[in-house]
Amino acid sequence: MDHLMTGFMDVLNPGTILWVAAGVTIGYILGAIPGLGKATGVAVAIPLTFYLTPVAALGMLIGIAKGSAAGSAVSAILLNTPGEPSSAPTALDGYPLARQGKAQKALKMGLFASVIGDFVSTLILILLAAPLARYALFIGPVELCAILLFSLTFIGGLSGGSLTKGLIAAAVGVFFATIGLETETFIPRLTFGLLELEDGISLVPMAIGMLAVAEMVNQAGNMKALDREASAISDSAAHEDRVITRAEWRRSLPVIARGTLIGSVIGILPGLGASVASFLSYGATKNASKTPEKYGTGMIEGVAAAESADNAVVPSSLVPLFALGIPGSVIAALLISAFVLHGLTPGPLMFQQQPRLVADVYASMILASFIMLIIGYTCQRLFAQIIKVPLRLIIPGVLFLCCVGAYMETGSIFSIYVMLFFAVIGFFSRKLDFSFVTFLIGFVIGPNLEFTFRQSIQLLGSDITNLKHHPISIAFIVLTLATAWWTGRSNSRKAVVK
Amino acid sequence: MTVTTRRNILGAAVAITIGCTGLMAATVAADYPAKPITMLVGYGAGGQTDLVARATARIMSANLGVPINVVNKPGAGGAVAASELEKSANGGYTLLFHSNSVVNSAPFIMKQVSFTPESFEYAGMITAYQVGLATQKDSPFSTLSEFVVWARENPGSSYGALSPEARLYIQEIAKKENLDINIVPLKGGAGMMNALLGRQVVLAFSGGIHYRNPDELKTIVSTTTFRHPSAPDAPTIEEEGYPLGMDSRTTLFLPKGTDRAILDRLSAALKMAASDEEFKTFTASANIPIMYLNVDEAYKEMSTTYTKHKGIMEAAGLSAQ
Repeated sequence: MDHLMTGFMDVLNPGTILWVAAGVTIGYILGAIPGLGKATGVAVAIPLTFYLTPVAALGMLIGIAKGSAAGSAVSAILLNTPGEPSSAPTALDGYPLARQGKAQKALKMGLFASVIGDFVSTLILILLAAPLARYALFIGPVELCAILLFSLTFIGGLSGGSLTKGLIAAAVGVFFATIGLETETFIPRLTFGLLELEDGISLVPMAIGMLAVAEMVNQAGNMKALDREASAISDSAAHEDRVITRAEWRRSLPVIARGTLIGSVIGILPGLGASVASFLSYGATKNASKTPEKYGTGMIEGVAAAESADNAVVPSSLVPLFALGIPGSVIAALLISAFVLHGLTPGPLMFQQQPRLVADVYASMILASFIMLIIGYTCQRLFAQIIKVPLRLIIPGVLFLCCVGAYMETGSIFSIYVMLFFAVIGFFSRKLDFSFVTFLIGFVIGPNLEFTFRQSIQLLGSDITNLKHHPISIAFIVLTLATAWWTGRSNSRKAVVK
Repeated sequence: MTVTTRRNILGAAVAITIGCTGLMAATVAADYPAKPITMLVGYGAGGQTDLVARATARIMSANLGVPINVVNKPGAGGAVAASELEKSANGGYTLLFHSNSVVNSAPFIMKQVSFTPESFEYAGMITAYQVGLATQKDSPFSTLSEFVVWARENPGSSYGALSPEARLYIQEIAKKENLDINIVPLKGGAGMMNALLGRQVVLAFSGGIHYRNPDELKTIVSTTTFRHPSAPDAPTIEEEGYPLGMDSRTTLFLPKGTDRAILDRLSAALKMAASDEEFKTFTASANIPIMYLNVDEAYKEMSTTYTKHKGIMEAAGLSAQ
């Protein structure tokens, strides 16, 4: 605690505040621009960290991480083009809200849910990093495998209209994820001799093609209709369509609390990530609702669920880094570079060697939460104007930025081809009503599920009875079976009603 | 119409470039470097190798007097970047900063990679990777021979492997000592740390990241030919009687046919980096030992390790996939 006070003293000077604010602003804007995002932020930030003082560098990196997670909601809501896969569920209800003239309301809810999720998760990191990371170590490959199986089944329920089509899309997602070097013996699968495919299809260009480019092509097809709508509705004049009403807060707060919890837990566990968290939170909210059929048509709770979980992942994914020296996420890996550049060994040694710098990091994280609220609130008024811009002006710009974003991560044209390939798939999945949400989930969870399954086989010595030593795993397998049974039943009922 | 014009301009540009290259060839070494240098890195931004590359580039750039732009080209363990370097002009303005494992190990593991030491020129090596076998601090064995005894008494124990090389070590040891060990695949340094700290495996192959948590983890043997500066008491695998020591070092690669004078100039700048105080602090905190090799030493290191690794992997029955 004493250290934290010192931390605040270090951080609360104009110089450092400026760098944290700069980080949040860069992150928020990059996140809000379709096609760009965390990956671009990383590219911008790395060279800069060489030239800044440790506190300023760390503050800026944290700002970028937090800002981009919150900013990605903006393009999801306004243009239906999520900046990151983890914001895809935000678009499911955020975009319909924007089309109803309630863009400002949706944006505000997205921001507040982000900030609350982020802030609470930051507090968890500061207060409970060490004990929580210890608990997380009990979750080994065998447990993870069961958790992933459960997540895949549970989120599979999000498939939209037809369960069959949702499952097909998920299977196709899993299929594309198998491309690349197999993880045990490095045998290349389906790479057709292309070196670029050895590491598999990269998530960033795939998601940009699938989510942003395909959506832009789709909207270009409906341009006239959408433009006519836009000029008619643009922004609702009614005050209650611009702000979040008391009743909406009452409905959304429990949703945000659950999202924050899900996000914080997923962030601490190895290998799950923000996409799994936001989809799980959205799915849980939909399932808990009395009117699940209304989700996807503009439910403000949907935005709250996705964004709170998405942002809660960022701070909590740093827990394993601080407590044990394990880089849990891209941002954690980035912070490691800033640490070692300034002569710090990342991991538990930091608390002994440089408690003050750790306190500075904590203080700048709290500071970044508040700055995010201010910056987000200010920027939103500007961003919200974009809905009035005719689509013919937006689409070319977005397509250009998508190419830049896809290129940035690997610095190769090949990524742009990957993006275009998935844009075609994304376009047809929209036209034929195959859920790209379940496709993404299959793509993200599939390979991890396979990997942890193979690890489990080795760890259990190929003997299923050894599972009795893994009670958490058994619990999740039972939950999975229950979910599958429940989904199947409610689906067959729906069929009967039809 | 436009097409023709564009083609004409393009043609002219190519002609001028070729002309200039011809003229410049004679004097190139004397006034090298005359323009910014591009440094490719075969891993993603923010990783260990990328960090060393950027720190090195910064010091080299000050010494050479021209900017060095670091460009990440991740893919296939560096083979994507190395293939790009192979196709680049050999004027000394495109170079690759990468682990030499892309030449001395990757070709024996990946069928699509067929580099040999003759595929590139080398302007020196700067740091080494502290690769070894790590375990929990309180585990019942502290050396490889103790592990062998323990593993014989406890059949079916789990070993964490990150790569085919990592599997090779335990398979060779298990074959020689007749042990029954389950090999658990792991992904990356983070997966390895999780498995060790979470006690899912009793032993794991580590690229050196385990030194971040010295209170809980220890090295029982280094799989390099040298003892790790971070754990000088742990013997090497060759000292333990297995001729399996394989080294990898960060190396400055240049396209085939690069002028020797350019290599020497770059190597001198690399040496400056190796003795730079700031660089030393940074590598020390990241547990990366500096082991500078000049041009001649780098060539020698490359060809001896290539032959040696080839022998080890072929003897172990590992075939490129």
